[in-house]
Amino acid sequence: MIKRLLTVVADDTPLRRCIVWWVVAGVLQGLGFVLLVPVLSALLDGDTGTAAWWSLAMVGVLVVYAAVRYVAQLASYRAAIGLSKGLFQKLGDKVAVLPLGWFHGDRVGPLGRLTSKGVIDVMGVPAHMLRPIITAFVTPATLLVALVFFDWRLALATLAAVPFAFAAFRWTQSLVRKADGAHHDAAAEAGSRLVEFGQTQAVLRAYGRNVDGNQILDDALSGYRDAGRNLLTTAVPGLAGFVTVIQMAFTALLFVGVAIATGGSLDAPELIAILVLIVRFVEPLLVAADIGGAMKMADATLDRADRLLNEPLLPEPATDDQRTLASGSLSVDLDAVGFGYDDERRVIHDLSLDVPAGSMTALVGPSGSGKTTVARLVARFWDVDEGAVRVDGTDVRDVPTEHLMSKVSIVFQETYLFAGTIADNLRLAKPDATGDELAEVARLARLDEMLERLPGGWDAEVGEGGTRLSGGERQRVSIARALLKDAPIVLLDEATAAIDPLNEVAIQNAIDTLRGDRTIIVIAHRLQTVVGADQIVVLDDGRVGERGTHDELLEHGGRYADFWRERERAVGWRISSGVGR
Amino acid sequence: MPDTNTPADAQAEIPPPSIGLGELIRPIRSKLILACLMQAVASIAGLVPLIAIAELAKELFADGGADDGRLWTIAIVAAVAFVVRLAFYLGALSVTHYADNDLQLEIRRQLADHMGSVPLGWFDDHDSGEIKKLVVDDVGAMHPLVAHALTDITSAVVTPIAAMTYLFIVDWQLALIVLIPFAIGIFLYGKQFSGYGENMAKYNEALEEVNVGAVEFVQGISVVKTFGQAGRAHRRFIDAAFRLVDYFWDWVSGLLRVSSAAEVALSPLTTLAVIAGTGSWFVSNDWISATDLVVFFVLGLALTAPILTLGYAMDEVQQASRAAGRIGTVLAEPVLPEAADPAVPADNSISLDGVGFSYDGERDVLRDIELRIEPGTLTALVGPSGSGKSTLAKLLCRFWDPTAGAVRLGEVELPDIARDELYRRVGFVFQEVQLLRASVADNIALGRPDANRSEIEQVARLAQIHDRIEQLPDGYDSIVGEGALLSGGEAQRVSIARALLADPPILVFDEATSFADPESEAAIQDALSNLTIGRTLIVIAHRLSTIVDADRIVVLRDGQIVETGTHDELVDLGGEYSRQWSADQRASRARDALVEGSEVPA
Repeated sequence: MIKRLLTVVADDTPLRRCIVWWVVAGVLQGLGFVLLVPVLSALLDGDTGTAAWWSLAMVGVLVVYAAVRYVAQLASYRAAIGLSKGLFQKLGDKVAVLPLGWFHGDRVGPLGRLTSKGVIDVMGVPAHMLRPIITAFVTPATLLVALVFFDWRLALATLAAVPFAFAAFRWTQSLVRKADGAHHDAAAEAGSRLVEFGQTQAVLRAYGRNVDGNQILDDALSGYRDAGRNLLTTAVPGLAGFVTVIQMAFTALLFVGVAIATGGSLDAPELIAILVLIVRFVEPLLVAADIGGAMKMADATLDRADRLLNEPLLPEPATDDQRTLASGSLSVDLDAVGFGYDDERRVIHDLSLDVPAGSMTALVGPSGSGKTTVARLVARFWDVDEGAVRVDGTDVRDVPTEHLMSKVSIVFQETYLFAGTIADNLRLAKPDATGDELAEVARLARLDEMLERLPGGWDAEVGEGGTRLSGGERQRVSIARALLKDAPIVLLDEATAAIDPLNEVAIQNAIDTLRGDRTIIVIAHRLQTVVGADQIVVLDDGRVGERGTHDELLEHGGRYADFWRERERAVGWRISSGVGR
Repeated sequence: MPDTNTPADAQAEIPPPSIGLGELIRPIRSKLILACLMQAVASIAGLVPLIAIAELAKELFADGGADDGRLWTIAIVAAVAFVVRLAFYLGALSVTHYADNDLQLEIRRQLADHMGSVPLGWFDDHDSGEIKKLVVDDVGAMHPLVAHALTDITSAVVTPIAAMTYLFIVDWQLALIVLIPFAIGIFLYGKQFSGYGENMAKYNEALEEVNVGAVEFVQGISVVKTFGQAGRAHRRFIDAAFRLVDYFWDWVSGLLRVSSAAEVALSPLTTLAVIAGTGSWFVSNDWISATDLVVFFVLGLALTAPILTLGYAMDEVQQASRAAGRIGTVLAEPVLPEAADPAVPADNSISLDGVGFSYDGERDVLRDIELRIEPGTLTALVGPSGSGKSTLAKLLCRFWDPTAGAVRLGEVELPDIARDELYRRVGFVFQEVQLLRASVADNIALGRPDANRSEIEQVARLAQIHDRIEQLPDGYDSIVGEGALLSGGEAQRVSIARALLADPPILVFDEATSFADPESEAAIQDALSNLTIGRTLIVIAHRLSTIVDADRIVVLRDGQIVETGTHDELVDLGGEYSRQWSADQRASRARDALVEGSEVPA
């Protein structure tokens, strides 16, 4: 754990320094305790003069101890500050350079916690935990060494207790670990059932499943309770064993001491003094056990930080090999691309695709066919495993990420807005945008209707993540933002899925105005939005199934023609409750 | 020593009415009292071996030499006291832990029940992650308090009092002197904590900024990167983080002298030095015997040692109280009232009389809605987004109660109808499909858990999904999300099968703005057609073309009904609807123009 801390910080001297100071403080405290023996011996022998001198020595040790402690605590805080700043900086730097593909739903929450509360937890280790932990080992060790000088038999007896205590501790831990796995699983199940409970609440109610309790959830909660009970039933004997061993060791020492004293081979004053000393022996250990939990938490955080810091990055081109992209229209092509999110499953197989500069290509296909993946590979969310993705003939891996990003506008189905006003969110794309420019994109993205309706208009707050707006409104803001950015390559992934049909037509028109000098790749479920594309590519299980214009594909009579026929059938559909209608 | 483990979400705002910690732990109060009593016995028994050392000294230095028999008796008494201490300590621990285990289930069930009865809008403000955190983590956060802190505090109070009582009996003057460093330490602690509240508030503020910065940085990074603004978000996060760290430094370093002095005053070494020094002086003056002094050395520390334990315990109490506060707030959330003496609706007609609704009490989403829906008719709700049509539909399912007027089913106000009776009559098909991680069969049978397999298969056939389910690895027993990986369109059809099986006479249907899979759009429509036959239908319509056959179209704008009538009537009226209709027609003509000449070859 402490070794781990040392590897996390760039400069480990402050941490090492404070460890050394606390070791010194621990030894001093042990020495002070040891001085009890001469004090007590002298007193019990009736030699109060000597006792007074030893007492004075004890006060001396105390003064030095107090000074060292102050210095050590100061060093601890310094180390904590350095550690947390270093960790914040390292994590922040890493997050900023992680490939875009790394960020998906279930990673973002834990990462947010790691970069805030997690670092604070770690900071607590040098600030507050180092002292009790180091003292727990150093002070008893000092006492033990001293004990050898007073009476080797008692020292040996004390020492003999150590492996027993250690074995009992390990045994307890292994018991707990075994039950802990099941407990952890039960907690995960209960947690995921609760998430489901929250997400499906409307359905649960509409089907009356909240009235007499939700059996699935209740089973999960009961299972969690049972796993907890199981953990207790396993852990309590373990804990009892551990405490018993410690107590027995102390009792045994008492008996050994009495035996030695009655045998007459040890002076009574010394025995008493040593017994008093042994009382001190156990105490620091118990304190250390108290903060074990907090240490474990910090350790788990370090684990996560380690893993994050070791995430592989997309290699940036060396400065000499960097290529910049031309201004103006840019073509996109994928050349025999193979890609998988993990080593086991390929999602894209040998896929080639040419998108000439200034043309519009639509990707069509069932969910899971790889449309989104293809679009994201163009923006280098990940690197391909085989083949190459090229922009204007240049491999995207040879272009600095920031430069590539400046050439691409992306609108996703799920959009993230920043806490702030609508205007703030648009200006993200172009900090120096004029009012006219804002008004223009607002008109194109049908934002004007929204601005009229929302209190505050441009200054309406969107809430954290944009949650004060509806899904369709968020999409309109993000489309406006992409329009404002005015990049030569535009990727639209279900960009209008949440927008109502009337506004959608308007926005579709806005997208059409982009055509001409911009290269557009669009993914859409609604086929009518793609009929005008220069090229329609039907993806099937990560491969190109068919390609051509709308008319060509209909002519071809393949999968696309099937989709289209289905849609034609769907278009005239009307709802009726008609008995006999 | 400011504690760095303060929960990030310490709330500064004024707490709403809440059920307190004491109320929450009431069910296990007697067990907790028992555990504390057991702990008190254990703590006192724990002092006996220490006193035995002093007794041993007395015996060894007794006039006339030590009596071996007595020495052994003392040792045995000490050993027995150990056993007693151990037994009672473990007993107390077991009692609290098992009680805590039961209490957690109890509170979790209460929370689940309660959340199932609050207005649905509550779930808009509390996402599923929060719910999980509340029920799993916050309830779990009470564990340190219930299982440990109470017994720890008992021990930390009983031990020093018992020890000091003993010492006062042995020699009250010396006992008083032993109290001096303790008093100094406590005084210094008090001084250290004088500005604590203010400092802590500032610290929490800085921490909150880091939290916000971190969340925004992490969640928005993909967006900022595509706009080349990663540097700015990064800087903002790092700045907030460094401000927090610097604030921490200012705070602790400013207090370092006082806090170090307090801790040194309370350290065992100080107590021992005081006893050694003054003890030597007392002994040399014959005010106390050397053997009596021994007991001071072993018991003197009992006074200061629990301070640390108390500190930890207080921290645990505080954290648990905060968690309990969050739990209590949810439990105090008002529920939709349940009729004590439910009435049965006369028929399946629906009427809304002067209905108004507001989510926040400020802005009206619905106003003065007067609407009567006859059994067996098709009513379409139409209007731009934000016009209140979805809200109106949800009032019919009693996801909320209206803030003005009344919604009646068969002449009975919804709150006066038993909930299962209401849901037997009114069903809802949502735009977003919500399937549970359970077998496909269980998902279909959600509203009628007693349905048999052939009934389930029958509705699956009607919903055009039976064949697909048969292809799943375990057929109807495949678990959704595990064995059964369904596409959006397939999931939509499962949810239609669910509604078919529940077979409510009234169905509220939220038409999808888009279909999840282009290839299954027509199949979904076929399934829907089977579902809608013979029911009272209320449709939230996004495309006017699908509802031209409606018996009545209700046009909403800004929460009010502006027009009602059939399609033809409304088109003739030349108002809001007819404007939307012609815009819609123009839009679809525009689409058709795009595909002109692209007829599907037969």
